[in-house]
Amino acid sequence: MNVPLKAIGQPVSRVDGPDKVQGHARYAAEFDQPDLMHAAMVLSTIPSGTITAIETKAARSAPGVHAVITHENAPRLPYAPMAKRPQVDAQGGDQLKVFQDPTIRFNGQPVAVVVAETLEQAVHAADLVRVSYEHADGHTTFDRARGRAPSRGNEKAGRPADTEIGDADAALKSAAVSIDANYVQAREHHNAIEPHATIAAWDGDHLTLHDKTQWPDNDRDEIAHVFGIKKENIHVVSPFVGGAFGSALRTWPHVTVAALAARVVQRPVRLELTRRQCYTSIGFRPHTEQRVALGAAADGTLTAIVQEAFGQTATYEEYAETTLDPARNTYACPNVRTRYRLIEMNTNSPCPMRSPGVATGMLALETAMDELAVALRMDPLELRLKNYADRDQHKNLPWSSKELRACYRVAAERFGWSERTPEPRSMRRNGHLIGYGMATAVYPSHRAKASAAATLLRDGTALIRTAGSDMGPGTYTSMTQVAAETLGLPVERVRIELGDTDMPYAPVHGGSITMASVGTAVQAACQALLDDLAGVVKASPDPRLAAFKAGTPEWRDGGLAGPGGVISFAELMEGLGFDRITAEGQSAPGNESKTHSSAAFGAVFAEVEVDPDFGTVRVPRIVGAYDIGRVVNPKTARSQCVGGMVQGVGMALLEQAEWDERFGRPMNGNLAEYVVPVCADIRSLDVTFVPGEDTIFNPLGVKGVAELGLSGVSAAIGNAVYHATGRRVREFPILPERLLMG
Amino acid sequence: MRAGGDIMRQAIRFRRRGRIVEVRDFSPRTLLLDYLRLTERSVGTKEGCAEGDCGACTVALGRVRDGRVVYEPVNACILLLGQVDGADVVSVEDLAADGVLHPVQAAMVEHHGSQCGFCTPGIVMSLYTLYREAERPVTREAVNDCLAGNLCRCTGYRPIVDAALAACEGPPADRFLAESETIRADLEGIADGADIFVGDDTRFFAAPASEDALAALYARHPDATLVAGCTDVGLWITKGMAAIDKVIWLGRVAGLDAIEAGPEALTIGATATHSAAHASLGALDPDMGELMRRFGSVQVRASGTVGGNIANGSPIGDLAPALIALGAALELRKGDRVRALPLEEFFLAYRKQDREPGEFVRRVSVNRLGAGDAFRCFKVSKRFDEDISAVMGAFRLALVGRRIASARVAYGGMAATPKRAPETEAMLVGVSLDDPASWEPAFAALAADFQPLDDHRASAAYRRTVARNLLAKALHELATGRTDETRLVGERPALQAAE
Repeated sequence: MNVPLKAIGQPVSRVDGPDKVQGHARYAAEFDQPDLMHAAMVLSTIPSGTITAIETKAARSAPGVHAVITHENAPRLPYAPMAKRPQVDAQGGDQLKVFQDPTIRFNGQPVAVVVAETLEQAVHAADLVRVSYEHADGHTTFDRARGRAPSRGNEKAGRPADTEIGDADAALKSAAVSIDANYVQAREHHNAIEPHATIAAWDGDHLTLHDKTQWPDNDRDEIAHVFGIKKENIHVVSPFVGGAFGSALRTWPHVTVAALAARVVQRPVRLELTRRQCYTSIGFRPHTEQRVALGAAADGTLTAIVQEAFGQTATYEEYAETTLDPARNTYACPNVRTRYRLIEMNTNSPCPMRSPGVATGMLALETAMDELAVALRMDPLELRLKNYADRDQHKNLPWSSKELRACYRVAAERFGWSERTPEPRSMRRNGHLIGYGMATAVYPSHRAKASAAATLLRDGTALIRTAGSDMGPGTYTSMTQVAAETLGLPVERVRIELGDTDMPYAPVHGGSITMASVGTAVQAACQALLDDLAGVVKASPDPRLAAFKAGTPEWRDGGLAGPGGVISFAELMEGLGFDRITAEGQSAPGNESKTHSSAAFGAVFAEVEVDPDFGTVRVPRIVGAYDIGRVVNPKTARSQCVGGMVQGVGMALLEQAEWDERFGRPMNGNLAEYVVPVCADIRSLDVTFVPGEDTIFNPLGVKGVAELGLSGVSAAIGNAVYHATGRRVREFPILPERLLMG
Repeated sequence: MRAGGDIMRQAIRFRRRGRIVEVRDFSPRTLLLDYLRLTERSVGTKEGCAEGDCGACTVALGRVRDGRVVYEPVNACILLLGQVDGADVVSVEDLAADGVLHPVQAAMVEHHGSQCGFCTPGIVMSLYTLYREAERPVTREAVNDCLAGNLCRCTGYRPIVDAALAACEGPPADRFLAESETIRADLEGIADGADIFVGDDTRFFAAPASEDALAALYARHPDATLVAGCTDVGLWITKGMAAIDKVIWLGRVAGLDAIEAGPEALTIGATATHSAAHASLGALDPDMGELMRRFGSVQVRASGTVGGNIANGSPIGDLAPALIALGAALELRKGDRVRALPLEEFFLAYRKQDREPGEFVRRVSVNRLGAGDAFRCFKVSKRFDEDISAVMGAFRLALVGRRIASARVAYGGMAATPKRAPETEAMLVGVSLDDPASWEPAFAALAADFQPLDDHRASAAYRRTVARNLLAKALHELATGRTDETRLVGERPALQAAE
């Protein structure tokens, strides 16, 4: 095979692809353990109250049952507080402590777990458990009047209650043109196709967890605190994650349930959530209601931005989002006020879902910008260019890189934006109303401390290990490319191992930080390996290596270059008599976040066709152009954007939990009625990356892509629906009914 | 113990990885997916939803049809193990041979059609059946149809579609085709035409091989659950925790799946699958073909049957309103007694049908459209495929010149059952296609025919509006002479008029 010398930037096919297409990749629930038992949970059926009695006799005597664990007989767990809550956890309140008290905090809370020899026996016995409750008043409605400011923990974590520069309300009053509108974003569920699952196995006081997680190291830390044991006693294994989109960032209560069950029965236990349980046992994107008011001069110059958000949270812990981040720095505007309030409800805790906070905030902001463009009788793209933010005005810092103007230009050209006639209902085709809409996309870029180990083996191949996870974007592949390029090896001679706490520490696989964080650590580890190797070569008495000692070592073509040609890694290892040589590399954020603000940017354009008789909307085309810094792999990067566009179609038109206020739970907890896009809902998707790399932000020059891919998409679609029909639906998703009857 | 046939078999037999597997001891409600993952430990096949929505569990079943082995995709999560009797069971681990990927697998890798990889096995298996069976050239629409029952949350589908198109560029040529004579011989070797009965009188999986054996067995066990495709009964097991102990699978009853396409009428046997009936229904009218294309998913259509869909009595089932409007008659049998009734009379109330204990649906027949007859049916759903209708409307109008001489109108999603609209039908008689004002009384009459409910799928108001607009669409299309290609995209005055 003709191997590219430069691995970074090449459209390398995913290295785990062959395993995945043959069904050989092993996910959390699929590991064999000797004497494995199966667990099935019993969940509360009321949103608020107390368990008065829990009848387990029938379940305990059912065939194959080894244990029925409830708050009445569960071992008391220490739930030792962590020195600092990891950023993936809720930053206020207290996590749900399973089976430690009779209090019911939400509908779907685990109240018992049955452990049996077979799954069928466990499920059957779980069905026999009878729970009596005393109901208590709770909150199952989203009532803005109960909105309260986030607590100090969330303020400190970047979710402030109130911010203001200038005097936005005064500027709004005196603006030549203004709009003021309310928007609703439905509660959305991740619905990764793999349900969450854990296999827990104790060996004395050592615990092995095969778990679905985006952060193995934190999974270990969390469970160590829950059980009050040393984290070194816990081994988390998670080589493949079947999609997560944020749902596996934190360690959910069912992981504790599995570990607890395994400890009680003294055998390995598998607990797999059913699809329905995935609607209450893990998090979701919170229902959020927003007000956006914009003021502008007659020429479109923004003079005021007011954005207020009310987000849903649980009663027992406080999850808050960065919903209002985009309001503060997406556009240049001297007067900006934001206000964030939380509404406690008897629900399981929300959590980040792809482009968390930002997707929700951008939906409102970018819809409002479209409304302002209409009010100004101005082209929506021109309005964005008019208010282009050359600096991050909120942090008062320059951008480390920003190619958003190029994104607007490229995407508009590829889309054919100039063919748009501005009047709503002015474009038709085959009896359908056609609409064009656009929006800005943005997602802040972050990085975190990470480490990796690079090993050169005797056969001259390299093995890279880091505890980080790959939930699907292609971490195995992109890390292979970084290592191959740094070492000067073809990608086929590099192997990556991920998802194991025995490997060097890696940060959370979320927030699009993996490439900038783990990627730079892999780069550093490979460089350290080469440096070590050079040192060993220099010190070696082997006469065959004498020619390679002079000057700065030059690594290329799978080895070390010298006057007489290249000596391969295999020959070097042979000459040195090494079986393996390993080096670790670390990377961490530097001063760049103090001197610069970093973000990935994009422009998204969508075409819709609306059937005016039924209000059904289809999306023939989405075009996006993105500034993600250096593109490590155009194939995997494009897939992130395309996948984001499709989740954006879901967010704009289809996806919502149908919330039952009587019982405080979603009615449509299944994939038939929680409607995600199918193949036929998707037609042309066009992705372009504009040139650029951001070496201020990190040495690889990358910025991150996954979250960005969803940002702005749903607003672009909604704006296109307005353009098609002249109807502004402000409650998302834009269901046929809302469009036709609205 | 005898199930009624001459020969009795107390095991199921199927082909798996080149061997004939015989299973004697299994629970009647054991699902194929559990057999694969838990018993066989072939965990390549995934469980994403356990109700036939996501397709991660898709496997291919090969059966001999017209002398040829034909593979169809099925949802293993809602298919009883017993239903694979007589089939070649192919799962995702089986496609590659000697380290060489199957063409669809290679294309999925090359085009980045797999990301997290969890939906991938199901998608690979759906594409395998496309690769094997689809007419060339394979179009993008054919790929969409093939993948309607496979949800993917990562890739945005485009890379998968590209992979499918690339893999299916040439004619199919894989090792299964090379071995097809052996496979056919193996399958014919186990096709013994015997009645199957596994279990005892209190708990069994039975598969009678003849209608008489079925009639006798069901008369003896009227409390048994009849299973045709299991696309709904599967959910009773996985979601409803139903303790189904007696299963009579209809899939082996000789002749019960017969489709007779006569010059006057089309008769569809109860166990003909939606896939098998698709072409014949489409030949009645192109709208019927389009309706079937959007019915469930390929996996559901490959398992689910016309008779099962009717007997099950879903208030929204898309087929029943269309058949009612066409004027279908249903034939039922109990013991030796056979009776027929108009389809609409079969649906009594919500999930309650006119079917006695021990009685089973035998076949449904539909008279073909006459020279002056026009037919339209449409479904309105949120997502394009694999979505239950909010409202489904079907209209058969007999025209004399430009006037409607008689009408049959039926809707799904407007009442507790699929239901005719007698008042509306009456108001349509005598109406001129050239006088839209004369349509109004018929629109108004819909209010007398239907009092739909608000539920989470749609509000009553939306249902009423859509029901009206569907009728308007049908009349408008007939009036303007627009034909097949406008069925989904005709000119619509309704929203403009409503403003």
